[in-house]
Amino acid sequence: MTSHHLLPVHTGTVIEDDSLTLDQLCDACGVHAEWVISLVEESIIEPQGDEIQVWRFSGGCLIRVRSALRLHHDLGVNLAGIALALDLMDELENMRTQLKIMKRD
Amino acid sequence: MEYKDYYKIMGLSRTATQDEVKRAYRKLARKYHPDVSKEKDAEAKFKELGEAYEVLKDTEKRAAYDKLGTNWKAGEDFRPPPNWDEGFEFKGGNFTGSDAGVFSDFFEQLFGRAGFHSPGHEPHQFHARGQDTHAKIYIDLEDSIKGTTRNISLSAPEMDAQGHVQLKHRNLNIKIPQGIKPGQHIRLAGQGDPGLGGGKAGDLLLEIAFNNHPQYRVSDTDIYLDLPVTPWEARLGAKIKVPTPGGIVDLKIPPHSEQGTKLRLKGLGLPAKTPGNFYVILQIALPPAHSEEAKAAYQKMQHEFDFNPRISMGV
Repeated sequence: MTSHHLLPVHTGTVIEDDSLTLDQLCDACGVHAEWVISLVEESIIEPQGDEIQVWRFSGGCLIRVRSALRLHHDLGVNLAGIALALDLMDELENMRTQLKIMKRD
Repeated sequence: MEYKDYYKIMGLSRTATQDEVKRAYRKLARKYHPDVSKEKDAEAKFKELGEAYEVLKDTEKRAAYDKLGTNWKAGEDFRPPPNWDEGFEFKGGNFTGSDAGVFSDFFEQLFGRAGFHSPGHEPHQFHARGQDTHAKIYIDLEDSIKGTTRNISLSAPEMDAQGHVQLKHRNLNIKIPQGIKPGQHIRLAGQGDPGLGGGKAGDLLLEIAFNNHPQYRVSDTDIYLDLPVTPWEARLGAKIKVPTPGGIVDLKIPPHSEQGTKLRLKGLGLPAKTPGNFYVILQIALPPAHSEEAKAAYQKMQHEFDFNPRISMGV
């Protein structure tokens, strides 16, 4: 058979909802904590936990931070614009999913 | 190597002002940004646009590019004329684009490769954890239902000892845990970028997406199925068999069901920590009326029912 049967199998860990710390999120996205904090202040992402020390982020936050970063970097969108764009993109995505569910075949 | 017409890519004339270049970039970047656009070649278009803008926004690079002349056609085999860059001084070593590794050969030939420091030039004391890297992988619904091992191939720009950026490919066998849902991530520790100066390697974060399934649709942990039923099964109620990704199950259709009635099979969605549900959406199928007997049956219905489905339309 093909050669990849000889490769070792990597077992990763699943990032469960609300399992990422601020540090881990920053590492994962290659950004400073200040940037993530400003995203939380703009309510672009919402961590679990009241205090910054106990903040926990979901994998969904990870996707959002990376999109936010690209929108900022590639298009020069500011925080308020990023918040608006991401919310509209989510809504669009939900509607596409709904459409798929409703559309026969 | 192919000549690239950066003006054509940006939809500009050669006499465009720097302001026009910037405005054209903003407009096209919004159109082709991979986060926003659903066009399937959006990512390639966006990269091409980024490269064109990298050259045209910079008056030095633009002047050098313009000096190549206007006789080239996009896609034409290109060799830079001798001494084409004579007398041009590029500030700050080559260019500054952050995604420089993905620019075309044409760009590299003109403006050189990324001006990174090679690792050997880093001061000894410098330690840094490698960056986490990201990739999106597509799995089948069945992979999440049963859990499996998948071989994935990844490519990423990497710098060789001479500081040249090249695409490196690698294959990894990845365990796909049971019950993983779309949008969830798997973290592979130490599979990201190597650390610097003895620092730890970063992690590889794999975002899970599902391939479209011919039969089922997945939303978060829930699975949806359009299930054809007969008019009498819907109206009189019935016990029927339903396929689910985990196997065939019995389903009781309640009497007086309608077209589009949604029935829930609790816990038969994705086997996540909190298992999702399986939803059946009834689709009423009409039997054909080819034979005389079938026609007679439809005629009997016509006589028995005083039924006008268009009554609300007033006709």
